[in-house]
Amino acid sequence: MSIIAPAPALEVEDLRVTFRSSAGDVHALRGATLAIGRGEIVGLVGESGSGKTVLGLTALGLLPRNPHPEISGTVRLDGEDMLAASEEQRRARRGSYITAVFQDPMGSLNPSMRIGRQVAEALGEGDVNLIAELLGQTGIPEPHVKARCYPHELSGGLRQRVMIAMALARSPRLVVADEPTTALDVTVQARVLDLLAGAARERGVALLLVTHDLGVAARICDRIAVAYAGRVVEVGTAAQVLGSPQHPYTVGLLASRPRMDGSVAGGDLPTLPGQPPDPRRPAIGCAFAVRCPAADEACAHPAPVTLSGERRCECHYPSALHLWPRRVAGELAASAPVLRLPHTQRLTEPIVPRPALTVEALECHYPRPRRHPFAAAPDPLRAVAGVSLTVPAGGSLAIVGESGSGKTTLLRTVVGLLEPTAGSVCLGEGAPPQLIFQDAGASLTPWMAIGAQIAERLAASGLPRGEREERVASTLEAVGLPREVAGAIPRKLSGGQRQRAAIARAIVVPPALLACDEPVSALDVSLAAQVLNLLCDLRSNLGIALLFVTHDLAAARAVADEVAVMSAGVVVEHAPTEQIFRSPQHPYTRELIAAVPELAEVA
Amino acid sequence: MNVATGRRRPAAASIASGTPEALSGPGAPRLRLWRARAGALAGGSRGGLAGALIPVGLITLLALAAPLLATHSSAAVTSAGPLRAPSLHYPFGTDEIGRDIFSRVLYGIRESWLGAVGVIVVGAAFGGLVGALAGSIGGVVDTVLMRLTDLFLALPAPVLAIAVIASIGPSLLHTLLALSIVWWPWYARIVRGEVRALASRPHADAARLAGVGRVRLLLRHLVPGALAPVIVTMSLDVGNLILALAGLSFIGLGAPPPSPELGAMSAQGLEYLFGHPWVPIAPAAAVALLALVANLLGDNANSQLDQRMTR
Repeated sequence: MSIIAPAPALEVEDLRVTFRSSAGDVHALRGATLAIGRGEIVGLVGESGSGKTVLGLTALGLLPRNPHPEISGTVRLDGEDMLAASEEQRRARRGSYITAVFQDPMGSLNPSMRIGRQVAEALGEGDVNLIAELLGQTGIPEPHVKARCYPHELSGGLRQRVMIAMALARSPRLVVADEPTTALDVTVQARVLDLLAGAARERGVALLLVTHDLGVAARICDRIAVAYAGRVVEVGTAAQVLGSPQHPYTVGLLASRPRMDGSVAGGDLPTLPGQPPDPRRPAIGCAFAVRCPAADEACAHPAPVTLSGERRCECHYPSALHLWPRRVAGELAASAPVLRLPHTQRLTEPIVPRPALTVEALECHYPRPRRHPFAAAPDPLRAVAGVSLTVPAGGSLAIVGESGSGKTTLLRTVVGLLEPTAGSVCLGEGAPPQLIFQDAGASLTPWMAIGAQIAERLAASGLPRGEREERVASTLEAVGLPREVAGAIPRKLSGGQRQRAAIARAIVVPPALLACDEPVSALDVSLAAQVLNLLCDLRSNLGIALLFVTHDLAAARAVADEVAVMSAGVVVEHAPTEQIFRSPQHPYTRELIAAVPELAEVA
Repeated sequence: MNVATGRRRPAAASIASGTPEALSGPGAPRLRLWRARAGALAGGSRGGLAGALIPVGLITLLALAAPLLATHSSAAVTSAGPLRAPSLHYPFGTDEIGRDIFSRVLYGIRESWLGAVGVIVVGAAFGGLVGALAGSIGGVVDTVLMRLTDLFLALPAPVLAIAVIASIGPSLLHTLLALSIVWWPWYARIVRGEVRALASRPHADAARLAGVGRVRLLLRHLVPGALAPVIVTMSLDVGNLILALAGLSFIGLGAPPPSPELGAMSAQGLEYLFGHPWVPIAPAAAVALLALVANLLGDNANSQLDQRMTR
């Protein structure tokens, strides 16, 4: 009897998915190939638009019907063709063979049903002890009590654990986890990831982890696949892909990630040139060629596949690049002079200028609702509970903390959107502070042209009307946007361009203090690096002080001189950046730093 | 992701903190729908707006052209004599004193249509102004204006309209005035809700930080966002108003005779229903047709904006 190797848990070959719509065809997948062995944990990493989510959904048979998808290629689950299967057969496979954990557990759980009943549905039986046992295995404390809760009564981390329990309920062979921890706080994220990986390994369940974060994939995956423009351009073991990437895109992606070790100085993050590809206009040859320094005429043809052992790479010149991209020093230097405005004083005067921001004993309280009309008023929620900070003129301070730590409230109070309950906010000389929002798209008025929105700040500055247009155009160029953007409405821009436009508005009259609320957390890795560099350039060229609120320690390290760690409305540790990372004093800081998924551990 | 976290938060807290999620609180599914529509509309897809406005404009033009299409004057007694059956020359026959019903119905359609559109425009303009002021100023002004609005909404609309007409006397203008008085509060509520929701969004905060004044903030950053839901409501309201107008004139609270009002014509012709059915049925059918067309147009406008939202 010959030994037949068991079929892989998932086999995807030359998978093409095109969404047909009147607005144009979207080529989400253009011949993706990926195999996942039994019990293997594979990370599928890519930026938005790379097709990684569509691959997961196709495997699950859960592609949206509208816009109509056209699918070709093969998807085999345990050797069985899923694309040829009827909807009935696919449904039978889902739940028993292949299950999913999605990013937003609140959206995936039924809000009007108790947790226990939902787990029972996934399990196929309603035995209370079995349900509790399953919940307990995913690290949910008091599973009997939690089973009687509704989803809104649980925290985000617990909800995601419930989702994991449901996904594992009927011992599937494969779990597709699409950004399972992206919506969670860093420390919770680390715990949920470890739990997911542990549970999968314990049961021999294969896991396809779809994520945009290389660090997340590095933390738990055996192998990593990199998706770009609808193809899987590189696959290998985690150590191979992270340690010696072959595809230029992987090389660039790894390089543009802010580092925790501080090896890259502020504002000098290497960035990938160009923009992520538009899935509406697919390239004929190698999709990365337009951004790739190693590309030549050959790259106009589809890239050949290089196989060596466990590695697979789609590139004409694999391993051609090692140290790339290098940051061009002072990328914005050429356009910087236009930003030196007549009424802005460069901060080079001998007199020590006033700090850009001084916050003293700041308190921000929110009233809590009374339980009933005759109840005594409950103690207010102290979102910011006595914070004192100073940002020197031209300095840079990062405020780090998890959701609910009060960091955003502090920021909004500093710029004047909220009134402090007590304490004082004292600002430096110059234009009033500006705020860069997390969601740049939402911070731009959707029906107004970009140029008109930027010009609104000029109206207050007293610049003659005739000069405003030119000033808007030169500011757009200074942040790396073409001047034609002035006439466009926000919807016409990409996410990265919107964030640049928002920054252009903030600096068209340079403020003494630029407050940033998670300015890069909604952006893809390569775009995030560009925006972080831009912020650092603005600081050095214009002397704008930065107050940078983030949950991302690596980003904080890239831009800040000093870091303040906030927890429950209080600054628990405040020290120069180097010191915070080298020798964190407060246990909470240590926990935060330990939770950051770091590539170096694997590579 | 943002929407989801917003849903988890208590609405009060998000409003207090003024975060973008305030909009997505559990109490605001309708607002969210409209927000998306507003985005779709204002985001440059003028197709939705045109789809809603062009048919309305066409019918309005048709109504204005009634004098050109009518074969006879609306008031003149024709030579054919009273109660003549429909014929080639008198397509809908003549009425009890020998007027051409076809011409009278055409003029009646004009009155109904223009009246309905006029009431809606006045209602939306006045209600919109009240709502925009209440929503943007807030505080005492908001409370006073909105309680006033509630007061009007609390009275049953037909009763209020009847009371108004009864006190100032029946005429077409008075009927329209009465209807406008009962109609504006709805628009005030919609616009106030939209403006308040938009005011807590990041783009409004960003505009405030950019040093935009209150008036400009309202006109450029908030009110355009309320346009789409107002247009949807307006287009769905035309049919309602045509029926309301016809109803009032049917019970004698419209323009006094001999003006060609569809409701009044049906009412006067009712006694001839069995002998000479065309006399009441022609104007009644015109009302039904007009209301049907108006509703179809409204639905169409609504779904066009919807589609743009989901795409």
